[in-house]
Amino acid sequence: MIRLTQIRKSFGRNEVLKGIDLAVEKGEVVVILGPSGSGKTTLLRCINYLEKPNGGEITIGDLTVHCKHPSKKDIHRLRGKTAMVFQQYNLFRHKTALENVMEGLVVVHKVPKEEARRRSAELLEKVGLGDKLNAYPSELSGGQQQRVGIARALALNPEVILLDEPTSALDPELVGEVLAVIRKIAKEGITMIIVTHEMGFAQDVASRVVFMDQGVIVEEGKPSELFRSPKEERTKQFLQRITPEGVYSI
Amino acid sequence: MGTPFDITYVFDYFVKLLPSLRITLVIVEFSLLIGLGVGLIVALPRLYRIPVLQRFSQVYVSFFRGTPILIQLFLFYYGLPEMLKLVHLDVSKVPALYFVIFAYALNSGAYLSEAIRGAVVSVDRGQVEAAYAIGMTGYQSFARIVLPQALALALPVFANHTLAHLKDTSLAFSLGIMELTGKAQTLPTMSRHFIESYLSLAAIYFIICIVLEKLFAVVERRLFRHEGGSVKAGKAVGGLKRLSRRFPAGLDLPKEGARS
Amino acid sequence: MKLDPAFIWTAFIQLLSAVPTTLELTAVSVLCGLLIGTAAALVRIYRVPVLHPLASAYVTFIRGTPMLTHLLLIMFGLPMIIDSVAEGLGLPFRSVSIPMIGFAFISFSITAGAYMSEVVRSGILAVNRGQFEAAYSIGMTTPQLLRRIVLPQAFASALPNLSSAVIGTMHSTTLAFIASVVEINAKAQIVASTNWKFFEAYIAAALLFWGLTIAVERLTALLEKRIHIYNRGGVA
Repeated sequence: MIRLTQIRKSFGRNEVLKGIDLAVEKGEVVVILGPSGSGKTTLLRCINYLEKPNGGEITIGDLTVHCKHPSKKDIHRLRGKTAMVFQQYNLFRHKTALENVMEGLVVVHKVPKEEARRRSAELLEKVGLGDKLNAYPSELSGGQQQRVGIARALALNPEVILLDEPTSALDPELVGEVLAVIRKIAKEGITMIIVTHEMGFAQDVASRVVFMDQGVIVEEGKPSELFRSPKEERTKQFLQRITPEGVYSI
Repeated sequence: MGTPFDITYVFDYFVKLLPSLRITLVIVEFSLLIGLGVGLIVALPRLYRIPVLQRFSQVYVSFFRGTPILIQLFLFYYGLPEMLKLVHLDVSKVPALYFVIFAYALNSGAYLSEAIRGAVVSVDRGQVEAAYAIGMTGYQSFARIVLPQALALALPVFANHTLAHLKDTSLAFSLGIMELTGKAQTLPTMSRHFIESYLSLAAIYFIICIVLEKLFAVVERRLFRHEGGSVKAGKAVGGLKRLSRRFPAGLDLPKEGARS
Repeated sequence: MKLDPAFIWTAFIQLLSAVPTTLELTAVSVLCGLLIGTAAALVRIYRVPVLHPLASAYVTFIRGTPMLTHLLLIMFGLPMIIDSVAEGLGLPFRSVSIPMIGFAFISFSITAGAYMSEVVRSGILAVNRGQFEAAYSIGMTTPQLLRRIVLPQAFASALPNLSSAVIGTMHSTTLAFIASVVEINAKAQIVASTNWKFFEAYIAAALLFWGLTIAVERLTALLEKRIHIYNRGGVA
């Protein structure tokens, strides 16, 4: 349902993505792991064209975009099918939580205001912030802001939600509440691609784990398989560094 | 200078000067309004890096910040009619006031374009990315997300500029405009009580400045209410103030006095 | 259009004779302004008992009123004050012996002083608190600390603002024509009215100022580069 074919991306002379092929089916939760510089965040940001790939194809549902010469319309449609949750939350500072969630509905999808308000309030309830509808981002904790970010992404009913290290900027005690929300929507069958460092979470929620290093996909598989018995050497090394107790090798 | 100082004249002249305040405020109002429009137009090519126009903007800003405002006033007063003759427009009957407002507007435009530019650049890039990610077009993200926040950030610089601009209007007397300063010079022609006239002149300017300052403080509080504490507002503003003094483009110029 | 481009050049050459006056006005105003401003800034930072509110009032008043008003007040008010004081003290001095340019110097310096005080104040306040504490802890007295530690650093961080103020002062010297001083603006008026070519004369004046301003900027940029060798280069 989401198909990335030979995605390439270079920043100047530095080739960050060296031809990535990835397929994600509806309802899957794919977690991308890898050391910093592996290109995982860049890959994610290519999917909604916040970074412009230099080559390859992106297919979401019935839309295929050829990355060498994308049209403005294609990019716009692509963004209409995806939603993103950012590491730094990126909530609109001058709007309340409710307004943040409503913004996409009202401005982009042209939903009437009352309906948008109702849907947004429901979503904020769902992520546990029903009592903070009129709070400004500056009045919310990091975890609360991120949950608003998730609600904002959900509001758009996208075909896939892209999460870019959603808990990396949070204080440790706030990570749990955000992961709980992500877990909840995963159970509801929302398709997600998540870049994260939270190994335990990845094991718990992912239907598939992808390991990237230096711009290529090294290995992918079910979390139980990848974490317990990684096939590639690089995967083993990475996992050893991150979770020394989680990998058994003979 | 002959006549002894008489304080009653100060109060007397104060009252006589007030009607001229209207002209001063008219000049400030219109030139700022037009200047804001000009500033926005001039800032856009630089923000979006449009090739040729970007250069024009840079030169425009450099010129209007690099030359004294008095010279600009004379330049436009004498030069604009000449230039308009080229397109067969005879403006010799147009009152000097229009030229003055026009010149001030162009001048303000340069400063305000820098303020706008600095403010837009200060808006956190992540906000723009989030706007694109939810599918907004470039125009939508600029109008709904960037501009409102940029205006709030630009407010202190705008406030500073307004106050400075108010004081600059005093130069218009040299073109015969009867604003405050012009009036203050003509009032004592018979009585010879110049110093009293100028004292009341200073008093009026001072009071207006204080009133404006207070007004801007109120507006600033309202615009920044989404920031929760004055801490954030102060930080954002501090960063912006530094930006307005930068030199990287090579042609960032300030004028009269320290405008930080 | 009856524009005579060749005359722009002629006017430019004629205006050059007024440049020294403009520079003189600028230099004197800036230097005196810096002296006054530094004193005022220090008074305000250290909250010296009687002088503090006076300094604040001075800065507030000057910044809240146009420069032209200052010039007019000085031109008409100072002679009165000087004359009455001189008479009272029996001095043989009379204000008419002060050349007109003196009034310009005095007025511009007073104006510049207020703006400079803000420049100096923000420069000093930008210096890390820790520097003060370190200096005191090794036993420096306040004058030593100011001279050796604070002012050099304050200067570095205040440089952009200082350059602003210098350029601003230079631009405002155009007001001196009111005091019958022949600086660039007054000269432009003379050239313009003798030749009946106003536009050309003022274009020349504008270009001249533009050039001078850019020169000051370039100088500042050079200075900044040299100073920032030791500075971590925080700002730009």
